[in-house]
Amino acid sequence: MILRLNTDVVAGLVGLAFAALLWLPHGSMGRLSILFPRAVLVILVLLSVVLIIKGFIRPGERRVEITGSPRRLMVVAIGFFVWWIAINHIGFLVSTVVAFYALTWYLASVEGPVSWHRLLRWSPAILLLVGVFYLTFKEVLNIRLPAGFLI
Amino acid sequence: MEMLLQALSSVLTLESFLTVLVGVTLGLFIGSLPGLTATMALAVLLPFTFSMEALQGLIALGAVYMGSIYGGAFTAILINTPGTPSSIATTFDGYPMAKQGRAYEALAGATMASVVGGVVGVIFLLLLAPPLARLAVAFGPAEMFWVAMLGLTLVASLSSGSLLKGLLAGCIGMMLSTIGVSPVGGETRFTFGYPPLQGGIELIVALIGLFVIPELLTMAAEGRGAIPSGGELRKRELSIGRIARQVFGRPANLIRSCLIGQLVAIIPGAGGNVTSLVAYNEARRFSKDPKSFGKGNLEGVVASESSNNVMVAGSMIPLLTLGIPGAPPDAIILGVLLLHGLRPGLDLFTETGVLTNGFILSMGLAALMLLPIGLLGGRIIHRAVIRTPYYFLVPSIAMVTILGTFALRNSIVDVGIMLILGTAGYFLRLIGIHAAPIVLGLILGGIAEQGYVQTMLAAVADPVPWLRLLQNPLSKILAGLVLVGAATALIPIWLERSGRLARVDQEPNAPGDQKEET
Amino acid sequence: MKFNRKPLVVAISTLAVVGFSMAAQADYPEEDITYIIPFDPGGESDVTARFQEPILEEELGVSVNVTHQPGGGGAVAWSQFQNDAEPDGYEIIGVNIPHIIGQPIQRSDAGFETDDWRIVTFFHSTPNALIVPDDSPYETLDDLVEDAKENPESITLGGSGTYSANHLGMLRFEEAADIDLTYIPFTGTGPLKGAIEGNHLSGIFNYTMLGTEMEDEARVLAVASEERVKALPDAPTFKEQGYDIVGGAYRGVAVPKDTPDEVVETLEDAFAKANEEIASKQEPLGFVMEDITGEEVDEVIGQLRDAYGPILEEAAEEEE
Repeated sequence: MILRLNTDVVAGLVGLAFAALLWLPHGSMGRLSILFPRAVLVILVLLSVVLIIKGFIRPGERRVEITGSPRRLMVVAIGFFVWWIAINHIGFLVSTVVAFYALTWYLASVEGPVSWHRLLRWSPAILLLVGVFYLTFKEVLNIRLPAGFLI
Repeated sequence: MEMLLQALSSVLTLESFLTVLVGVTLGLFIGSLPGLTATMALAVLLPFTFSMEALQGLIALGAVYMGSIYGGAFTAILINTPGTPSSIATTFDGYPMAKQGRAYEALAGATMASVVGGVVGVIFLLLLAPPLARLAVAFGPAEMFWVAMLGLTLVASLSSGSLLKGLLAGCIGMMLSTIGVSPVGGETRFTFGYPPLQGGIELIVALIGLFVIPELLTMAAEGRGAIPSGGELRKRELSIGRIARQVFGRPANLIRSCLIGQLVAIIPGAGGNVTSLVAYNEARRFSKDPKSFGKGNLEGVVASESSNNVMVAGSMIPLLTLGIPGAPPDAIILGVLLLHGLRPGLDLFTETGVLTNGFILSMGLAALMLLPIGLLGGRIIHRAVIRTPYYFLVPSIAMVTILGTFALRNSIVDVGIMLILGTAGYFLRLIGIHAAPIVLGLILGGIAEQGYVQTMLAAVADPVPWLRLLQNPLSKILAGLVLVGAATALIPIWLERSGRLARVDQEPNAPGDQKEET
Repeated sequence: MKFNRKPLVVAISTLAVVGFSMAAQADYPEEDITYIIPFDPGGESDVTARFQEPILEEELGVSVNVTHQPGGGGAVAWSQFQNDAEPDGYEIIGVNIPHIIGQPIQRSDAGFETDDWRIVTFFHSTPNALIVPDDSPYETLDDLVEDAKENPESITLGGSGTYSANHLGMLRFEEAADIDLTYIPFTGTGPLKGAIEGNHLSGIFNYTMLGTEMEDEARVLAVASEERVKALPDAPTFKEQGYDIVGGAYRGVAVPKDTPDEVVETLEDAFAKANEEIASKQEPLGFVMEDITGEEVDEVIGQLRDAYGPILEEAAEEEE
């Protein structure tokens, strides 16, 4: 998918938005703490403004290309966040097994419908992979993996 | 000399060999997992070394350290993900090579470069420790400020395409570094009243997010693996001799990168995170064909990997002579030394010289061991990544990424930060704001801030506090280097703009090529 | 945010604690104990925990897992612990004074309170120490004070952290001696050593450990303890030299507030035993072993809060 977009202007706006996000709710701070971030923010805002002006006068790249399927991109991106939230509430092991199956199924179905048999055939590999990493982190590296109401 | 021979004989035992072998393999595995750092590998290993003799314990730690720094190159090349911050620059050319089906060439080149780097570092440590240590302590707050500024001149070469956008990315990175507790002042900044943000944005969390997640999203969207499956090993590529000729054929690059690695490694606090970036930048500056960098030039991989492995032994110089950890993993090695009653200092090289030299030599052994383990392991991992269908690869990498990020600080919030930065990073890359300068800003922001504010504090009684920044000879030299660095980075761009270099460079797509540089 | 290890087991054991309290506690501990260190690996807290680990395991008969949760000078781990940890003694966390006193006063979003847990014990302390390099013109504390009176603010002393034990100790010294010094915060002791070796500072206001570590290249002008520290027999205390300054960092462990007394006692004993065994390793490094438990804990905290509170509040107001 190709979008028409003046990337200079957009980058400048992103810079301004980021500066505003950090600066507006910053509250009061001591002199020593504010010195450096304030200086960087000023430079950030200046660069953003210059970029926006340049975008109108002598624009650089004016199109943006998302390779592949934008829908799949969004689904997977959101999927990662759902996975993260699930780890926190359901526990690492269960949510990861579920997420692994779901992602594998979703991505494999790009090439055509995925039968139950195929999913089943993948099971040993998926369970082994998740199991090995789970145990390595938990038992060998002594990491307390999140456990919600399951494991 | 006698001491050295004695040390050598204490290292050349079966037990030591096995310790090094296991240590390097373990380190390689841990280092290649994004999120598992050398520091963590050493921390995990620490309890096991308690039961060992001092020398065996140190050998084990040194081997793991060497292996884990090298392991970062694997993922950097194969999935565009630096396993440790020290291999960021390896991705610049390693991944494009992998995409062209030259992954094994990159891996083998990285391995040879790492071996050379590791051995050179050990030689420096054996021969030049005391004078280099004196140089290390010359870096005070003002000097560190200039080091950070010098690092920032790298932005110019990291920002493929637009310099303005590169600077913008650097500023964004520096702002991210200010989230959390301020290094001087002790107050919380930009936490939005959310206590977990007091911990700030950990470099590695940002690194993983900004590099891995965009790559995973791209793989998912395009429905393909990281490396073309058609790029199976061709016979010619498997020839180690041919790759070796390429690596050693132009020794200038190797020598330069090793020297840079050593110099940067002794700067306390900047250490390994920037060595590879500096070496890469110089390799490109001195190359006859700088345009080919970023598009799959083996020299870029060699520069990055040789310099970061020099750092392993190199950062031991301030540690062993003065007790100053040059890089985070060194703090753990310092702990082990103290635990065995070994106080860093010259005594370490005289009274307990056999032990110390044995430890140093074992790091050389570990570096040499990288060659067989790396070439073999590289082939196995390479095959695994190529043969695994992308619909397995994406969830597997995502799982390891989540685990690694979590394990770093036992924090589920970090996983969220990683995902947010990563998703944002994908879209920022589309508009030309790349991950590398953001990460560079994040690394250098803290160093610059601390150096600057500390200098200003120390100068509180001076009539003109600013002058403190230029008081020492070293800070003057560094400031000069900053000017030179900025000029050499900027002038070619301006010349190119004004068309004066058009004859030299006929490639029409060179400056505007923004697709897959970082 | 939940980090419960085995929620079901926890629920049952909590029930058991409530139900048949005596019988159940006699059995503590039955499962692995997690020992959270709120700092990076390699620091003093971490190294001490590594020393303690095997002895605790032997004493308690279960494995003790040391994990790290660094961030915000400890605050990230502490706020999470106070919010989430179950009062069953299977999760313990390292606590440090003055961090747990200072941060809640200084920050509006620290996320934890000084008193909102039960401190099992403070097992050691590290007194502040004023250290100058060997080639320094200051032979004694008096030399330094004299020079500071003539050249206010020009003597730079480095320490670890802002409003940390070092910083607060130095502020008290300034007040007691009626002088003006300049304090420069560093992150951790590693960079401090470099700064003094490279002559970037006049001296260091850090802990006794650094004094012993740098024995060959530095002089300790004064130590902020009641009596001289074993590892530094030649270093006089501030008290000997007429300044009533005693202070430094204390390290200990805490459990959630409602943890049963029996559990706390079991842990107290285990840590006391650990202290006995590791004293021979830690004392030469400059640590001062302590066994501060029960009401003494509140006493120590109260004392230090009185000493540091006004300085901290004044600083917090200045920043408004």
